[in-house]
Amino acid sequence: MKRASVAALLVLIAIPLLAAMAELPPHGSSETPAYTHVSERYLQRGAQEAGAENIVTDVILNYRGFDTNGEVTVIFTSVVAVAAILLLRDEERTSQERSSTPVSPVLLFIVRTMAPFIALFGMYVILFGHLSPGGGFQGGTILGALVIVSTVVLGPDVAHRMVPAPARPWLQAAAPLTFVTVGLAGLAVTGHYLGFPSGDEWGWVGTLMLVVIEIGIGVGGGTIMASIFWMMEEER
Amino acid sequence: MLLWPHWLALVVVVPLAGSVVTPAVARGSGRVAGRWAIGVMTVTFAIAITLVLRVAQTGPFSYWFGGWEPPYGIEFRFDEFSAFSAVIAFIGLLAVIFSQRYAEQALSPKRIPYYYCLLMLNLTGMIGFTVTGDLFNTYVFMEILSLSGYALVAVSGEKTAEMAAFKYLVLGAVSSLFVLLSIGMLYALTGSLNMADVSARLTAGVPKLPLIVALAAMTLGYMVKAAVFPLHIWLPDAHAIAPSPVSAVLSGLVVKMGVFGMLRMYQIVYRADVVDLSVLNTVLVWLGAISIVMGAFFAIFQDDIKMMLAYSTISNVGYIVMGLGLASQYSLIGASVHVFNHALIKSTLFLAAGAIIHRTGYRTLTDLRGVGHGMPLTGGAMAIGAISIVGIPPTAGFLCKWYIALGAFQAGRPFFGFALVFGALFIFIYYIRMVNAFYFQEPVHPEVARIGEAPVSMLAPMLILAALCLVMGILGRIPLSFIEPAVTRMLATIGG
Amino acid sequence: MIEALWTNLDYAASVVLFSIGLYCVITRNNLIKKFMGLNIMETAVFAFIVALGVVEGGDAPIMGADASPPFTNPIPQALILTGIVVAVSTTAIALSLIIRVYRQTGTIEADELREME
Repeated sequence: MKRASVAALLVLIAIPLLAAMAELPPHGSSETPAYTHVSERYLQRGAQEAGAENIVTDVILNYRGFDTNGEVTVIFTSVVAVAAILLLRDEERTSQERSSTPVSPVLLFIVRTMAPFIALFGMYVILFGHLSPGGGFQGGTILGALVIVSTVVLGPDVAHRMVPAPARPWLQAAAPLTFVTVGLAGLAVTGHYLGFPSGDEWGWVGTLMLVVIEIGIGVGGGTIMASIFWMMEEER
Repeated sequence: MLLWPHWLALVVVVPLAGSVVTPAVARGSGRVAGRWAIGVMTVTFAIAITLVLRVAQTGPFSYWFGGWEPPYGIEFRFDEFSAFSAVIAFIGLLAVIFSQRYAEQALSPKRIPYYYCLLMLNLTGMIGFTVTGDLFNTYVFMEILSLSGYALVAVSGEKTAEMAAFKYLVLGAVSSLFVLLSIGMLYALTGSLNMADVSARLTAGVPKLPLIVALAAMTLGYMVKAAVFPLHIWLPDAHAIAPSPVSAVLSGLVVKMGVFGMLRMYQIVYRADVVDLSVLNTVLVWLGAISIVMGAFFAIFQDDIKMMLAYSTISNVGYIVMGLGLASQYSLIGASVHVFNHALIKSTLFLAAGAIIHRTGYRTLTDLRGVGHGMPLTGGAMAIGAISIVGIPPTAGFLCKWYIALGAFQAGRPFFGFALVFGALFIFIYYIRMVNAFYFQEPVHPEVARIGEAPVSMLAPMLILAALCLVMGILGRIPLSFIEPAVTRMLATIGG
Repeated sequence: MIEALWTNLDYAASVVLFSIGLYCVITRNNLIKKFMGLNIMETAVFAFIVALGVVEGGDAPIMGADASPPFTNPIPQALILTGIVVAVSTTAIALSLIIRVYRQTGTIEADELREME
């Protein structure tokens, strides 16, 4: 009975939505308002005026950079929120017996061998985000995954050394902090918060600032991923 | 000042940077985190005040991020409605001051730096939400304030807190998705995300049906955020279980963001004037009226004071939503000012309730009988808040409700004017019950009647807010005439 | 109408996915499954917005030396990158809440939790 009424409710929501979808500008057409208004300028002039060949990177970090400034704050919020929710009341957690299931030597070998390459790939994705698909978040996720894999296979002690404890709060805040720093630098240089210098003479400074932000996002994102995993793992 | 043109950006950037470094600065010390939070919020409040002064002098102004002109970049637009950001910073500052002693007792020490960090992120999100002029940026700020809100509900660590937070999270996330879907549809229709530009491009050629569905989806999403009946189910638990300063912020400010989102949406469509909104308006008016009555009705049966205050928020948001739906000059002015006044009043009440719970350890009206004698100042603040929220002149609640009622007559719907008065009667009943219990009933626990006052760091914020409730009642014309040009501009196209 | 819906089949599919997600959120009893319903909804909205950017025969909008128009619309892609990060953050918070609920009560079934109250 409940399911039937829920299904009826959903049909009530879905029918107007479907009808609306049918009347939206046709899918895949290059004549739609979405394609001919703002994005037209991005595609035509983005590579020159915004400092990166990858227009998506231009949009994320330059034209709509403040969105990303907010977005890195969202992911920072998540790590703080997880900490606030999971850290226990007063007593320190008794150091739990870690599951001492022996790790298969094959796994150990693969992870040890692959780790440098994964790290390298992550850095590549971060640093070449302005030229090719990729960027700070994607690369940061790869680095974070590397730390998580190390925690699982090599044990937490090895993994914890990758992100030293005293630096952790700063590294977690790395992405928003880099954004604010670069934003204020842009304010000093161009007179606009998150302004990037452009043009032939100063274009490289703009590109450099984009790369700095990508690194900040990568480091911050990776640290946050790993920190969330550690906190959840301890609580397990 | 050198940075004068940039203060609109800094009003968000300063608390944002201040909050993200909190755990690093505090290094585990709750006291340091608290002091740091006070500093950051003071600076933010000062910046917000200069912005309000500027908008009063020169009218709305913009800030272009990265120097990109709209619609290519993100634009912050500070208009008269955005002046609410100063209220957010102010109540945020008082909540942070109130938390200094409160957090020590109510939270585990390890959590306190994170608590301040989340509280400031929440305030940052709200300030950003009120000043941004870009649809997708609205979504980003909405997520900052929602995610930190979910965690703040759970932070008290009480037994049902996590479940209340989870309920809040599921409903909040679903509503965010409705808003995002709607933003996507508006983008498909106009190719732009800047609010003013979207409005300008919503011309007669735009297909009507998707536009109406998009507006409906956005309204639905924001109605969940604003806890309009019957989408209020997440609110009572979440607001009652959260630490009291957080309840003050959630109830006084966060719920208003849903209303604020609707207000922004109305600004877009009124200016464009391509669709007939009368059906949507009628739905809002009815839901507002039902919220007023149902919120008040449930509140009467609550014994827990914070639960009672939470239900009272539902009925007060009902007033605001009804004012929006009536869509006449007076009702919109009344609704916008009630957003502001209710923030003051509800924060007073929740902070006072928090101080009482902090001192006595009890939270039901039965247990708290006679507490007005033990804590005369706190009880006085509570009584002032209660009188204000009922809307008895000369307190802050009166003029805006009066304007909404006038708006009902102006819109030719006198019935809703009566609904409003009827709701006020209901609200009167349960607040009288509270005042009666605090002052005139025989205490159940004799020690409650001679418990002694709360510490100064709690009393001061509460008394400042209570005083403002009175002052705003006497000087009530000032916010009304401040907001009037914005409402006139918004309505200029309707019927014109 | 049906013909237009066929052209916009991608959008229609996201609506269907959205409804399926909402159905899960409302009817599932297990908190994690409820939340997976929410993830389905998120995916639906993201897919819808990304689909808005598709252009027939369009390439990735990277202006390398050998790039040739048409390019796909970069804005929806940029927006959804933000959206995904928000979704990840929401998931992290929801899962940690579920962990705590389980710690405190020993169950994550909504009806059992309701009985406990």
